[in-house]
Amino acid sequence: MDQEETAAAGTGPADAARAVDVSKVYGAGDTEVRALDGVTVAFPPGRFTAVMGPSGSGKSTLLHCLAGLDRVSGGEVWIGDTELSGLSDRRLTLLRRERVGFVFQAFNLIPTLTAEENVALPLAIAGERPEKGWLDRVVAQLGLGKRLGHRPTELSGGEQQRVAVARALLSRPTIVFADEPTGNLDSRTSAELLTFMRRSVDEFGQTIVMVTHDPSAAAYADRVLFLADGRIVEEMDAPTAEKVLDFLKGIGG
Amino acid sequence: MWRFTWRGLLAHKLRLALTGLAVVLGVGFVSGTYVLTDTIDKTFTQLFSDVTKGIDVAVRGKESFTTQAMEQRQPVPEAVRDQIARVEGVKAAEGNVFGYAQFVGKDGRPVTTGGAPTLGTSVYTTPELQGSVSLRSGRLPAGPGEVAVDAGTAEKEGFKAGDRIRILFQGPPREFTVTGVVGFGEADNMAGATLAAFEMGTARQVLNRPGVFDEVDVVAAPGVSPEVLRDRVRARVGPGYQVQTGAEYAEENARAIGQFVDFINIALLAFAFVALFVGSFIIVNTFSIILAQRARELALLRCLGASRRQLLRSVLAESALVGLVASVVGVGTGILIAVGLRELFSAFGGDLPTTSLQVRPRTVAMGLAVGLLVTVLASLLPALRATRVPPVAAVQEATMAAPARIGPVRIVLGGLLTAAGVALLLAGLFTGGGELSLTAAGAVAIFLGVSVLSPLVARPLSRLLGWPFARWAGQPGKLARQNAMRIPRRTAATAAALMIGLALVSLVTIVAASMKASVTRVLDETIAADYVITGPSGGMAGFSSDLVRRLASQPGIESAAGVRPGAFKLDDGSTQGLAGVDPPAYFRTVRTETIAGDLAGIASGGLAVQEETAERHGWSVGDTVTMRFPVGGTERLQIKAVYAENQLNGSYLIGLSTYQRHYADQLDAIALVKARPGTPLDASRAAVDRAAAAFPGVEVRDQAEFKRSQAAQIDQILILFYVLLALAVVIAFIGIINTLALSVLERVRELGLLRAVGMTRGQLRAMIRWEAVIISVLGAVLGLAIGVFFGWTLVYALEEEGITEFAFPAGTLLGLVIAAGVVGFVSAVLPGRRAARIDVLRAVTTE
Repeated sequence: MDQEETAAAGTGPADAARAVDVSKVYGAGDTEVRALDGVTVAFPPGRFTAVMGPSGSGKSTLLHCLAGLDRVSGGEVWIGDTELSGLSDRRLTLLRRERVGFVFQAFNLIPTLTAEENVALPLAIAGERPEKGWLDRVVAQLGLGKRLGHRPTELSGGEQQRVAVARALLSRPTIVFADEPTGNLDSRTSAELLTFMRRSVDEFGQTIVMVTHDPSAAAYADRVLFLADGRIVEEMDAPTAEKVLDFLKGIGG
Repeated sequence: MWRFTWRGLLAHKLRLALTGLAVVLGVGFVSGTYVLTDTIDKTFTQLFSDVTKGIDVAVRGKESFTTQAMEQRQPVPEAVRDQIARVEGVKAAEGNVFGYAQFVGKDGRPVTTGGAPTLGTSVYTTPELQGSVSLRSGRLPAGPGEVAVDAGTAEKEGFKAGDRIRILFQGPPREFTVTGVVGFGEADNMAGATLAAFEMGTARQVLNRPGVFDEVDVVAAPGVSPEVLRDRVRARVGPGYQVQTGAEYAEENARAIGQFVDFINIALLAFAFVALFVGSFIIVNTFSIILAQRARELALLRCLGASRRQLLRSVLAESALVGLVASVVGVGTGILIAVGLRELFSAFGGDLPTTSLQVRPRTVAMGLAVGLLVTVLASLLPALRATRVPPVAAVQEATMAAPARIGPVRIVLGGLLTAAGVALLLAGLFTGGGELSLTAAGAVAIFLGVSVLSPLVARPLSRLLGWPFARWAGQPGKLARQNAMRIPRRTAATAAALMIGLALVSLVTIVAASMKASVTRVLDETIAADYVITGPSGGMAGFSSDLVRRLASQPGIESAAGVRPGAFKLDDGSTQGLAGVDPPAYFRTVRTETIAGDLAGIASGGLAVQEETAERHGWSVGDTVTMRFPVGGTERLQIKAVYAENQLNGSYLIGLSTYQRHYADQLDAIALVKARPGTPLDASRAAVDRAAAAFPGVEVRDQAEFKRSQAAQIDQILILFYVLLALAVVIAFIGIINTLALSVLERVRELGLLRAVGMTRGQLRAMIRWEAVIISVLGAVLGLAIGVFFGWTLVYALEEEGITEFAFPAGTLLGLVIAAGVVGFVSAVLPGRRAARIDVLRAVTTE
């Protein structure tokens, strides 16, 4: 697919990430399941996007495909100006290391490393050292200053997730993917974490894509994408919890 | 519950297969040992019953003088044969002689055996006795200059009837014509020995048995039972002779061999025990890990109402099944191992004669019992621990990587075990002259004690050993170090298996190095000879004393001295070794410090005694010692001199004239040659070589070469030990593979996370690799520490046996540690590949 067609589809190389007519099929024949069915979407830089949808709608699959954790069955996925489908495992790994940040629902941290070592892990893997000023700033912003020397088992759930966000931000990635980052947190710590994520978009210009099923979490985003049966069925700008909830009721999520 | 057991087994096939492999190898070693020794035993028993076929009664000199090297008996004079022949009921009584005779091959080199004797013997003329040998081709020798050859040698050397061949004897070598080839029943040779058969007159001449026989064999007249005849013959010849029926004779021979076989059996079983011991560590470790990973599953069963006892039974049933299957495979493997061991010994010059492999029911039962017992016992501890899981653990969040606390019980228990082990070891080594079982028990207790304590040091030591990796191997190196430190008990248990192997390897390395240093020192201090000459078959066979006579007459040679070993009995009945030497020449080549008297005095009779031996018996110069010899009976010899210990002379020296009176064979075991001062090296060497040229197979070495050859012999034994210990080390590495593989499975999510945030497959493999290297080196270092301690105490304990020097072969020991690291590196390949295959998605998504 050439540049003009992608531009025509409403996406372009200036985007932090984009998917063009992406499909993902599991199994074959009778047992075939289309998890993603022709999804085209762009994530402009400096924006916070939430992805929602009922269970089995393909929202996590979309995230995994965008992040280079999973291979698409058809279509293209771009991170910045790199198309992922042709990359070797090694190139894909390096791309994840250098240009993508992750926050998972649970088990984000290596138990043998301290919080600080976890934050710096992708850089350490690449054999680099974190930029001191930037590290301090990220850590301060996430309120982790006093917890850096602790191991994950000594941190609360909220602290663990904040460490994960700090890790995702530290390498100044093109885009951060967060998969239900507040799924295991109570509402107060959830709100705290989302505030931090929001601030990193506003203050650092970070691009974030977050999968969530919690309308109040989605309300922290600039835009919400709704998926159903592997397709994008709605885009909502400036969401609020009520608007999201209403829409979800409509599509049966 | 059975279904649960079964499912548990299926779910962990691979891990259990690896655990099983450790049992397979251990059981294989045990059953292989039995198969091998049973086979040897059977071979000899068969052989002895073959070669004594037709003999109803055998008569030999009563007294036997048996040392490690040989058995010597008083010969039977011809007159006694004549007496026996006149006993009522004797159909025939025929004398038989045997002694040293060694073929020279067509290439001019003597035909050597792997330690079996090279024999010459007389052929029977009595038809009933000829059944013991079977003529394969040609005819039996009938006159001087004729010889029959055993089928084994004939085949190996291409000898056939009509060939002219040379044979070495105590006297000068002689030429013979081959008249025929003989076998022994089905066998081509007598358990690896070579045999030259001569007509009686010739045999007596070349074997130096004038007027005597080594044995008289009797055939009974029809209707006379061997037992009756035995008693009649015994009554006639008197108490100086041993009279046995043919069956008793065969049995006695078989018993003597049985002792040798038992020795091999016990020695090999010791190594098999080491392998099993190491294997049991692997079992403990694997079951601990698997059961820890299944803790929630076990807790769930508890929630559902299963009792602790039920869980325990299920877990033990699981281990029993693993043990049973592994033991069955192990017994099968044992047959292969038996073949391997036989090849191993033959590669080291010790041909073990064997027929078809003997797999006795006892071997199978033993293998199964040992395998089952070891597996179940080893899994008992982890099973007890795992089934103590509270039901509530099923619903609690599993806490990852909570390091197990190392309690005071462990410290006390480990400390006590280690201390008890050290005490036992020292008691075994230093009290009452080497109580082997105490020493072994001590070593086992030390290994157990240190293993119990090792989790204490596993963390700091891993930190230390992992430092270079953390420093230079990037993030994978750092994580590897962290992972090695993570569960000290697991790391320690894995390393402990290797520790045992490495401790024993470094022990034998140190002892061997100390032996070499001691030998070198003895040779430096005591040998004044410029050349040392040893006999054929790597010095196992002696050589004719003609060589020394020839050497002495060479220009440029100041003196040449032969040493003839022999055995005698003191009046307390104990058998002692002595050396027959020619005093002036001998003491010019071997520096011997005289404490009292005159060493040269033994030339005309009497003996010289080593200082400590003299002290122990309260002897001094001028006293007489009553000595019983194989030939000529008892003689009272006067002590002419007392000399200082020098490791080479042994405890008793007699002159050659005395030796000739009392021993049938006059073979030198070793000859020492001193060049005339001022003779150029190449001239004296040429002179020695010239004299030795007539004696095929003797080795001429100068002092430096001789030292090297002594060191090489020690090295060869060392390598044999290495090979036998290799299995234990292999099992230890299976343990490392197993632990790493289990850790990989346990850390799937963590490894997936690392991949997600940008770790490449190569880095992941490197991380696992460095962890393996850290664990291996940890085991090696612990093993080395124990091995050095063992080596030091053992060398100290063996001081009286001649190991006077303690050598610390630092280079070799360092090499061992590096080798351990390298093998650790290799053992990480499979787990590393497994880790690299982990699906990132499955690892990071929450189900």
